[in-house]
Amino acid sequence: MRQDTRTLVRAAFATVLGVLSVPLAGSTDARAQPVDLPANIPPYNPYPSGILPANLQSELDRVKREVETIEGRYFAEYQALISAGLPTPTGLPPTLFPSGYDANRILGGLLNFDLNMSPFRNVACSSCHMPYAGFSGPIPSVNLTMIAYPGSYRYRAGKRVAQRYTYSPRFPVLHLNQQKNFMLRGGTFTGGNFWDGRSTGYLLQSPDAEQAQHPPVDTQEHGLPDTACIALRISQAAYRPLFELVWGVDFDISWPSNVEQICSLPGGAFGSNATPIPLSAFDRTKANNIYDHWGQSISFLEASTDISPFTSKVDAAARGQYTPTAAEAASRTLFQGKGNCNSCHLDGFPTLNPGPNPGVAADTEPLFTCFGYSNLGLPLNPRDSIFYESKADFFGFNPNPDGMRFRDLGFGTFLRSGPGSAPNPNATNWLSFAPLTDGQMQTSTTRNVAMTPPQCPTTEAGQVDANGKPIPYFQKEFFHNGYIKSLKQLVHFYNTRDAFPLPGGPVTSGHCPPGTVEKVNCWPMPEVRNNIDMTVGNLQLTDAEENLLVIALQFQTDGFDPANPTVPGILYKNIDTFTGQCTITAPGVTASTQGNETIIPTFSLTQFPCATDVCGVAPLPSMPIP
Amino acid sequence: MNRLLAKLAITAMTGSLLFSNPIVAQILPPQKKAAHVEITKGPELESAVSYMAIVRWTTANPRGDDEHYGIVNYGTDPEDLSQTAKGHIRLNRAHPETIFRVRLVDLKPQTTYYYKVTSEDSAGQSDGVEGPISHFTTPPAGEVINNYPQPK
Repeated sequence: MRQDTRTLVRAAFATVLGVLSVPLAGSTDARAQPVDLPANIPPYNPYPSGILPANLQSELDRVKREVETIEGRYFAEYQALISAGLPTPTGLPPTLFPSGYDANRILGGLLNFDLNMSPFRNVACSSCHMPYAGFSGPIPSVNLTMIAYPGSYRYRAGKRVAQRYTYSPRFPVLHLNQQKNFMLRGGTFTGGNFWDGRSTGYLLQSPDAEQAQHPPVDTQEHGLPDTACIALRISQAAYRPLFELVWGVDFDISWPSNVEQICSLPGGAFGSNATPIPLSAFDRTKANNIYDHWGQSISFLEASTDISPFTSKVDAAARGQYTPTAAEAASRTLFQGKGNCNSCHLDGFPTLNPGPNPGVAADTEPLFTCFGYSNLGLPLNPRDSIFYESKADFFGFNPNPDGMRFRDLGFGTFLRSGPGSAPNPNATNWLSFAPLTDGQMQTSTTRNVAMTPPQCPTTEAGQVDANGKPIPYFQKEFFHNGYIKSLKQLVHFYNTRDAFPLPGGPVTSGHCPPGTVEKVNCWPMPEVRNNIDMTVGNLQLTDAEENLLVIALQFQTDGFDPANPTVPGILYKNIDTFTGQCTITAPGVTASTQGNETIIPTFSLTQFPCATDVCGVAPLPSMPIP
Repeated sequence: MNRLLAKLAITAMTGSLLFSNPIVAQILPPQKKAAHVEITKGPELESAVSYMAIVRWTTANPRGDDEHYGIVNYGTDPEDLSQTAKGHIRLNRAHPETIFRVRLVDLKPQTTYYYKVTSEDSAGQSDGVEGPISHFTTPPAGEVINNYPQPK
């Protein structure tokens, strides 16, 4: 019996037993049977005790309810569009008139918040990217511990922080920004989406649209086994007519009789078969076209004012609707001056020429990124779930055979088409650049890095209001591996990464010498010591100047209403959907040390050196990576 | 007249195709390289431990490509500076000066290293600046030289 048939039989048997058995009620222990898995498919839990947060399943259930709330709101918008009269194809080429923009935006919302886009119907795109967190990770306890978010098959998880998707459509197609003399080697990679740039945008001419095509079939995320499952699920959706209105696609696909069974199993259940749904070439093309349009509609949503509205204090000030406070003005001066933040996080306001420079297109709506990549020298974070996912699951799939020998070389791994990344569609021309890019991760936009639910109005522990009352905070995670837990730590890292050289030798996280405090006056060594960016690391900022830079980041949060200047983020769509708990600062904790109670000792790099399939692939890294 | 209008229409269309689409990206156009670049401070030792050092110097902003590299050619013999370390930095177009910083790794304790600095852009084009031969000595194991501690 072929493996895929054996898998189907096993899963069918499990499903039948699942119908007959009673799922466990909402336990907070992740070792109990999750309510959103069939009862006889055991959860994937290879993690040592303490890696998963105790409240994981209840928090995942909370996020599902929030996602359903927003899906309901978009469905109401769809109904309102119907009532107002749907747009109609007009002119040549036929263009949806007069509300084609709304139609595509609402469709993007319905797709983005649909939990059915996963084998166990429990994960949507937004499950890891919620509005109140600037469309990044919505679970404080995950942000504090396992870093990556569990996918549909509980509790497989990826390896990196869920990136904010605000302004992501603005990133250009990945290209090598070479000098005018193309005979010279070199240049810099610019554009693309994902931390490692693997969503290039080369086909759809939009890295953001192509980005939306990865998670649905990522074994660690939505985990569908075949891209055609998206076409199947859209064909079953109540909003299918809207999809057909916008894209005019043909859902008349001859599905095999067992397609539901296939799409109800996670990727990895069919071995290396990426197309377990047997379709004719004609039907496969139809499914692929639908999948392209899925990505394009989601990208349209992300580009719209629903997600990328340019409503921060930066924008209000540029429009003359808001006068920054003295602290805010000072923070911007630092951002552009001594902090040197805008060398990478371009803000369009050069200090040499005060005021916007209309000669540069960026200036009126700055995106605070150069669209490039750099290795900031973050330490390896042993809390990252990926290190522990080296055991096969119920379906025989092993998410990370390298285990603790995995290292995140970011863009360099992508150029080598390495594990956990994606095939490099321009390896012919770009592979040779891999050693120059090892360790590099995308320079994110700083917009909305500080966004939180209004009831938890800060990311920073230890803040008090004018009456001395503690301000509740929303715990986030920062950079690609979530090592940094507050904006204060983020700025302090940029400022002092190189300012505390360790005389006893480099250390890994969890091994700072006695008398030092990790993230305060001890920075562990970089995970990848190659190609370290030296623009940062010793900025000579004082503690007070660091605090001002935190304000500069907060200044870039969307949803600001000039008519209600003291209420954070009030204008941001769906920011009111957080139903969880804010965190109250524990005694003795400050923004400088928040999260330090979760630091664990890094495993031995000598015992677990970098895996051959990561660090031993030609062209080799320029220096050995431990 | 119709030929003129057609010509204008074609010109306008071509112009709009050449004009960058702000909705897609805000990639800055390249700057002209500075005609002359000089070191204004350093080179000097920023910090050192027995196994690693950071060298630092400041120049006038070299302009041109925003992606730049500080380069240190070094060795234990002033006549043989055959080892090379590079530090990536990104220029800030608004800053009149640029600080270059380069890490030298896998060093030996209590050893004098001689070095010269220069810089180039990401395509390997030199900024045309070269520092004098300087030197530093790594401390013994367990000690630190830190000439740039964090200010209070």
